[in-house]
Amino acid sequence: MPANWWTRSRRYFLYVVREFTALPLALWLLWLLVEIKRAGDGPARYSPHGSAAFVVFSVIVLLFALYHSFTFLTLAGTIIHLRFIDRPVPASLIVLSQFALWAVASGVIAFVLIWFGR
Amino acid sequence: MPDKKVTIQATRFDPDRDEKPRLQSYEIPFSDESMVVLDALNYIKSHVDGSLSYRWSCRMGICGSCGMMVNGTPKLTCNAFLRDYWPRPVVVEPLNNFPLIRDLVIDMDDFMHKLKSIKPWIIRKQEIPLGGGEHRQTNDQIDEFRQFSECINCMLCYAACPVYGLNNEFLGPAATALARRYNLDSRDQGLTQRLPVIADTEGVWECSFVGECSVVCPKGVDPAKAIQQTKLDTTMRFVLPFGTRE
Amino acid sequence: MDFESYDVLVVGGGLAGIRAAIAAVEANPRVKVGMVSKVYPMRSHTVSAEGGAAAALAPGDSYETHAFDTIKGSDYLADQDVVEAFVREAPVEIIQMEHWGCPWSRNPDGTIAVRPFGGMTTWRTCYAADKTGFHMLHTVFQTSLKYPQITRHDEAFVTKLLVEDSRCVGVVALDIRTGRFDAITAKSVILATGGLGRVYAFTTNGNICTGDGMALAYRAGAGLRDMEMVQFHPTGLPFTGILITEAVRGEGGYLLNNQGERFLKRYVPNKMELGPRDIISRAMVTEFEEGRGFEGPHGKYMHLDVRHLGEEMIDRKLPFMRELGREFVGIDIVKDPIPVRPVQHYMMGGVDADISGATPILGLYAAGECANVGLNGGNRLGSNSLPECLVFGAAAGRAAAHYSASAKPVTANPVDAMLWDEARRVEAAYLEKKGGDERIGVIREEMQKEMDAGAGVFRTRDGLSRLARNLGGLRERFEKVKIEDSSRTFNTEIMAALELDFMLEVASAITFSALAREESRGAHARLDFPERDDKKFLKHTLAFHTNALAPRLEYSDVTITNFQPQARTY
Repeated sequence: MPANWWTRSRRYFLYVVREFTALPLALWLLWLLVEIKRAGDGPARYSPHGSAAFVVFSVIVLLFALYHSFTFLTLAGTIIHLRFIDRPVPASLIVLSQFALWAVASGVIAFVLIWFGR
Repeated sequence: MPDKKVTIQATRFDPDRDEKPRLQSYEIPFSDESMVVLDALNYIKSHVDGSLSYRWSCRMGICGSCGMMVNGTPKLTCNAFLRDYWPRPVVVEPLNNFPLIRDLVIDMDDFMHKLKSIKPWIIRKQEIPLGGGEHRQTNDQIDEFRQFSECINCMLCYAACPVYGLNNEFLGPAATALARRYNLDSRDQGLTQRLPVIADTEGVWECSFVGECSVVCPKGVDPAKAIQQTKLDTTMRFVLPFGTRE
Repeated sequence: MDFESYDVLVVGGGLAGIRAAIAAVEANPRVKVGMVSKVYPMRSHTVSAEGGAAAALAPGDSYETHAFDTIKGSDYLADQDVVEAFVREAPVEIIQMEHWGCPWSRNPDGTIAVRPFGGMTTWRTCYAADKTGFHMLHTVFQTSLKYPQITRHDEAFVTKLLVEDSRCVGVVALDIRTGRFDAITAKSVILATGGLGRVYAFTTNGNICTGDGMALAYRAGAGLRDMEMVQFHPTGLPFTGILITEAVRGEGGYLLNNQGERFLKRYVPNKMELGPRDIISRAMVTEFEEGRGFEGPHGKYMHLDVRHLGEEMIDRKLPFMRELGREFVGIDIVKDPIPVRPVQHYMMGGVDADISGATPILGLYAAGECANVGLNGGNRLGSNSLPECLVFGAAAGRAAAHYSASAKPVTANPVDAMLWDEARRVEAAYLEKKGGDERIGVIREEMQKEMDAGAGVFRTRDGLSRLARNLGGLRERFEKVKIEDSSRTFNTEIMAALELDFMLEVASAITFSALAREESRGAHARLDFPERDDKKFLKHTLAFHTNALAPRLEYSDVTITNFQPQARTY
């Protein structure tokens, strides 16, 4: 296989983009670990990193994260194979439940952060 | 349109003579709107150049012989209409990712070994005698595995799979779909015998879900789905103490 | 040159061949089985069978009615003892296929479902949607992979049977990938090479259906029986000849002429669309000639209409037909009628074989479409050929295994000489010959056109005589054929030449057998002899190879047990 195989078709390209989104995401999470470490020194000595470039980077990473989560959760309809009373559960229902779970989980985390962060 | 012509560029390669494959151009009459790429190849072989080699048989999309790359996409040539390409030239090449034997003929022995390795037959702890009649199976139970049983072994999915192209130890789309076909069959009890092959590192876990196999399948089989479902199944068997199903 | 030896060697990897291989192993697990096929087995033409496989399985059905329907369908040319054995074995084989995993369509209670089919008086055709042959072939092929006793030689083309002291001891095969000739010896050989549809221009048959096994046996001295009996299926797609299954009519589809009329009421009023294939094909051609067909760019056609069946039923029972309409014609059969016309489909005739597949040559067996065991007579009923492959494939496999257990081993000495002679023959005729100027493709196309014109649905003495003369001319031109491909690797042009050689052979057997049968029976319809003549022709034709174009013809009696010939009306 030639090294440029992924440029041969649009779908190969989109696949590589999808896989690539994980890379900046990982970088951002590493950064988050560093920030948490710094925050561990106490509120007095902590000042969050707030440069414009970092904000832009974070927004891009957020979009990537949303895209990656969206593709991942949509695939649940393909992957999960469930039966309920001898009938296969429709894929759309499975996808919907995944997104619902995602929303609930996000809500719970947001609640915990805000409630205990006050 | 008696004078309409179409240009076919076909891969030529004779291992006894050529170092590497080359394209040869043929201009042939495009005499009928119903003509497919395979008709064009047959015209060349009958009337222009008898030495062009390729496989074909049923020309109705079921025997799986005539898969080739048509303008870069894996296709059954019996089902690729010239009118969809004309007036541009049609480039016909052997399927990607396989060793080339000659012209448009690829070596698919690798698949034949992989097919056998997944034990594509009904495995039962106890056979019921023929006199006992058929196993009862509802149409709903058949629907569970039906689409995976529609694979015609045409190899288009392997040609579309970059993972297979990079590592041909990978079990690949069609073989996994067929393993799934038997694992989902209510008559079969052979899952544990197939697991060592399909759950191996060169089995489903090699797949990074490009999904192109399912796009090119001419029979509506979704091998990508078979592979992802198998990943989930094998994981659940690992996580849950008693496995999810026999 | 290699030398492999087996107990049983199967030539052909379709349903009959694979079933024979498995049966041989199951009859005797120590038996060593070889299987030679010119294509990978799952490419074999069984894959294109659509409608189903008949067996008296359903409650209320009986062996006797299946036997009678088959015999009446054959226009009383079937051997009735063979039919009676067949109908008893067919249900067992269908169950065996079920145990091997064939996805038969089911009744609500989970038992195997049946559908109506042409010429059958009751519902008895088991089916896997409308891809029955595909599912059966893949099931039996994949099942065959579990038997270590079976060794396959894929993509090897048999050019000659090795016959020593009138005993068959193997074959000479051309390995297509390397161009090497091998002698593959065996104590017994089973021919299961399928049909010869490519002798005709307009056929449902795939490119590989070139009558190889028939020609091999014919040249080795076996007779070809009832070769005039060529089946034309009423419903092929114009231009491509792609088969539209009889199940479309079985499930309730209508055949309409250009007046929108179900014209079969004038021909088979009691059965209508469920009449037998030979009669419906003749009815269609008659309607065409009387000006009641549609005119299209690829000739006259009729409409096959399933619009009244509804989308749900079509998708459940005829999904492949919808796919074929969409992919190959650009119509949706839910909304549009399907254009169809009669098309060569099946060869009732074949290598003369008895009920266990044994031919007159010791150690040589035949099964499936390439054989004539006496089941189909003058006209095969739809859905009898898949069970025929199973029943007689299995019978031949068992008989060959049994015979091989006590047969003398094959000695290398004469085999080496025969291999050498055969390799020299082919190389001299094709690879080394200089100066030919005839194209294989051109001769093949002319032969196909001649066969369509002279040995089609209706025949006459004049037409057949002209055909015989023209075949003679084509044979002479074939001697001057030019081979452009000098490669040893995957030389498909030499394959095409060998296949054309075989096809010219079987085409002449068809033509001369048809010329001599001066009556109309089953699929053989002579305009100059429109009546059936039981006094003179309640007999099988046997054609034997000679050094001239015309075969030597003999006749043998038809076995009649319980059903005396009657007028055949539906």
